[in-house]
Amino acid sequence: MMDRKVILVVEDEPLVLMFATDMLEEAGFEVLSAIDAEAALTHLEVRDDIRVMFTDVDMPGDINGIQLAANVRSRWPAINIVITSGKPLAGGWMLPADVPFFSKPYLHHRILTVIEKMAA
Amino acid sequence: MMNLDAAESARRRQEALADLLIMDTPSEQSFDDLAFIAAEACDVPIALITLLDADRQWFKARYGVKTSETPIEQSVCRLEIERGTFLDIADLTADERTRENPLVTKKRGFRSYAGAPLILRSGIVVGRICVIDLKPRKDGLAESDKAMLEALARQASEQLELRRSAKLSHQLTGLQTALVDIGETIRRSQNTKEMASSTAAIVGQTLHASRVGFGVVDEASDTIDVLAEWTTAELGSLEGKHRLGDFGLEQGIAIEPVVIADTGTPSPDTRAPETGIRMTAVSIVEMPVRDAGQTIALLFVHSAQRRYWTAEEVSFLRSVADRLEAGVARHRAEQQQGILNGEISHRLKNMLSMVQAIASQTLRGTTQQDAFQSFEQRLLALSAAHDSLLESQWVEADLRNVAQTVASTIGFDNRIVMDGPPVALGPRAAFALSLIIHELLTNAFKYGALSSSEGFVTLTWTASNAASGGELTVIWCEHGGPPSSEPSRKGFGSRLIRAGLVGAGGVDIRYEPSGLTAELKAPLARLAAG
Repeated sequence: MMDRKVILVVEDEPLVLMFATDMLEEAGFEVLSAIDAEAALTHLEVRDDIRVMFTDVDMPGDINGIQLAANVRSRWPAINIVITSGKPLAGGWMLPADVPFFSKPYLHHRILTVIEKMAA
Repeated sequence: MMNLDAAESARRRQEALADLLIMDTPSEQSFDDLAFIAAEACDVPIALITLLDADRQWFKARYGVKTSETPIEQSVCRLEIERGTFLDIADLTADERTRENPLVTKKRGFRSYAGAPLILRSGIVVGRICVIDLKPRKDGLAESDKAMLEALARQASEQLELRRSAKLSHQLTGLQTALVDIGETIRRSQNTKEMASSTAAIVGQTLHASRVGFGVVDEASDTIDVLAEWTTAELGSLEGKHRLGDFGLEQGIAIEPVVIADTGTPSPDTRAPETGIRMTAVSIVEMPVRDAGQTIALLFVHSAQRRYWTAEEVSFLRSVADRLEAGVARHRAEQQQGILNGEISHRLKNMLSMVQAIASQTLRGTTQQDAFQSFEQRLLALSAAHDSLLESQWVEADLRNVAQTVASTIGFDNRIVMDGPPVALGPRAAFALSLIIHELLTNAFKYGALSSSEGFVTLTWTASNAASGGELTVIWCEHGGPPSSEPSRKGFGSRLIRAGLVGAGGVDIRYEPSGLTAELKAPLARLAAG
């Protein structure tokens, strides 16, 4: 239990959050879940051992997943980021080259592969 | 001092002249002949067909005179023109109205004059046909010569009318052709800017204008944004944002069509010359483009020369504005449809994510993990087909695009070589293809070419054009894997493949030693159907 790597999952749809959480926990990660950017930032401010943030784009609240990612990138540059959305990535939103984007629904083992590589 | 009636008749004469489309045109035989006959018959050295404009008299035909026009002050023809009767001045040096006229006082100046009015069918007098002698005529023109000159005047007037009809019908044909072109251009356009720019070019060339533009009006910010424009070198560009006031428009005041022949002449309404951008052109037409009762844009046509706009030209521009209006409405509807489709798609994909999550939770902890993985992949194949369809607003998807999206979603896009022409699939065929490609991929990964590291797949397709209707043939061919053999048990995947692209079979699967080959055939007409 001591060495479980920590992943932050940000997703406003409870079923999908449950799915992502189980998938990561079964793969041996410790999962912190957040239903919006505000909750995610609370985790980020308290924990200093988060390796990867896996976030949705459209969420309730003032900050969407892309803005959250930009925020995390500047305040916690060591944290790797993976983004997913049911919408195609709108023009104008530029993602850094090292932030992969997955269209929803995603194949869970492909996400796992990416996150495992990032957390290693 | 002209009295008001004279001023009014001068204004009506100018309009009628402009409407004749004759001013400053080259000489024409039919008018030259009339001047020649007049001079010969009256036995004088000079005969003219004079048209009386605002500031000049211009000669449509001249016999014995070199100059083509003079200032209006030097015109003898203009005297008593409002009366519309014959003018006979036996000695120009004796008449107080003409004796100071430079044409009379000059060396070898004019001495006697006789002119018959040119009266149009509308009753408006536009000028005279006149004969001029260099010596005085004691008793004026003979009655018979007068009668003859009046007959020639009637001929000239009739000629003016016929000429106008011919010109106008020619112009009308040009305008109608342009309108058809514009309609076509607007229908084909993808967005408002493209529509405006090609329409402006056609209008500019058709009307021989100097500048034609399309500006989007925003009442709230008091601006007009000139999106697209067509110009000649004569006038500069107006592209970009301007204040409504610069265009002579006022916030909150309905924009009406404006037709101005000469911006330097005080308008009858405001009695003031134009200002702002209108002043950069000499002659202008502005046509509002309305939508739901509001002016959303302005079509403007500018000319660097003073010009009269015929009723036909103005009505042409009105029709152009109507067509632009329909175009703007269509583009807006399409844009809204696009947004709506995007929103529906977003919800659908979130729904698929939830279905995926529910299936995962339902099968959690059971021994069904393989089943869940198959389910998840099939769900993603459907989702991939949906992505391809969304690109064309859910009407059709390109075969290659569907196959590629499925392959890259599942993760084998680098091991499939694709070759074939563009083929449009309707939604049903796109979904069927996505599931079939997925099953073939999965099978190839488990038992076929993709199970070995050197193996690969070629996916080729051809569309035939038979008389009985075209047919699509898709061939999936595996290479470099182990020899294939028919499975003993036919599962769901195999049934999905055998249902074919349109659910009616047409599938031939061969288990060759070199690898599996699947041939799928379907009528093109069925594939395109929704």
